[in-house]
Amino acid sequence: MISIVFVLLLIAVAFVLFLVFQFWGRYFQRGPSANASQLIPVDLDAFENLTDPEEEEYLRRNLSASEFRRVQRLRIGVAKVYVATLSENASTLVSIGQSARHHLDPKTADSGKKLVERAIDLKIGCLLLAIRLNAAFVFPTLLSPSSTIAIRYLAAKQVAASMPRKSAA
Amino acid sequence: MSLPHYFWLYQYLWIAPHCLLLVVAIVMLHKGSHKSFPIFFSYLLFEFLQFCLLYAVAEFHFKISTATYLKLDLFDRAGGAALHFGILHELFGEPLAHNRSMRRKIGRIMNWITLVLIVLAVVFIGALYSRIFGNRFPQAYIVIDALYAAQVCGLVLVFLWHRFLGLRMSPLSFGITVGMGLVVGIEPLMQAFATLMTKLAFRHVDFVSMGAYHVAVVLWLYYAHVRETIRPDAATVGPRLLEETAELGRIIHS
Repeated sequence: MISIVFVLLLIAVAFVLFLVFQFWGRYFQRGPSANASQLIPVDLDAFENLTDPEEEEYLRRNLSASEFRRVQRLRIGVAKVYVATLSENASTLVSIGQSARHHLDPKTADSGKKLVERAIDLKIGCLLLAIRLNAAFVFPTLLSPSSTIAIRYLAAKQVAASMPRKSAA
Repeated sequence: MSLPHYFWLYQYLWIAPHCLLLVVAIVMLHKGSHKSFPIFFSYLLFEFLQFCLLYAVAEFHFKISTATYLKLDLFDRAGGAALHFGILHELFGEPLAHNRSMRRKIGRIMNWITLVLIVLAVVFIGALYSRIFGNRFPQAYIVIDALYAAQVCGLVLVFLWHRFLGLRMSPLSFGITVGMGLVVGIEPLMQAFATLMTKLAFRHVDFVSMGAYHVAVVLWLYYAHVRETIRPDAATVGPRLLEETAELGRIIHS
């Protein structure tokens, strides 16, 4: 009986410590603008090539089933690295946009707000894409990540279509 | 501590936080943040009205049975727990306030996660409490404590969610999360202690619980009032922002 109460006590203490850690992180760690590193360069042509449905279809037609699975897993593995890099870049953009939201210049502040919104969309897109890629990695012949990527890619294009031109102007 | 001191401390810890809830609600109304957190705002009013009812019943000796009082108390706890889940949804949805479709999509995922957490918590707390108390502990309290446990997991996820997005929480959402964490984090433990203790020790446990609630309300008040304090370097952020925005455009368009 006492041991169970002790378990509850441990859980409560761990959670309170977690809250204290969050406080510490908020007030005693470096600010987001200081943490923001440079964006990591991403070769988008190579990324598109890896997730191209036509390329996948070509491989499916010309390789044996076992060979296709092996090659497709390799392609998906590399695509996952690209998605992880894009996700990291999105986090950097979120923190930069967030500090710019409080800028004295209203135009910069507005651009910052838009940047945060777009970067969060990109970040969540990357998360969903990573889940899809992991599933496709397990079942390379049943699931094709390519079509989903293409649709997501177009959707992201539409969402962000006006933003860079406006803020860069 | 002598008995009158206990009495006044108990009265203070019961009345003061609930009165402060009203102050938090007024500050939120004044700042317009009730629009961003409507469920939290409703929770403040719900808790205040419940306090008025329970206090009046307890202190002015209205003729109601102990069973009815316990029902009122359970209603308060169950209503509070339900509203806590709504607040969790608000905290998760805050970074996606600009994107309704994304919020709906994440909301659906959140509903499933919530359901799984509740089931796990009911099993966990139910198993623990049945071993501690046997059949002595009311089932409704087990469910409510399980809901609290699920909310603790939900609050951890709120922090992890913001960390994943690389987003600094707004002051109010940080305050709500930490305050709610204090309230729900120690409640199952206090409930277990309270049922095991003698009457005098029970009071000590009650004081800890009420004290935690008081601290939580003070946090809500502070964070409802305070402004975001990020001060960007005016000379560097502008050009850097344009550069990074163009880079985002390149990533998405090319």
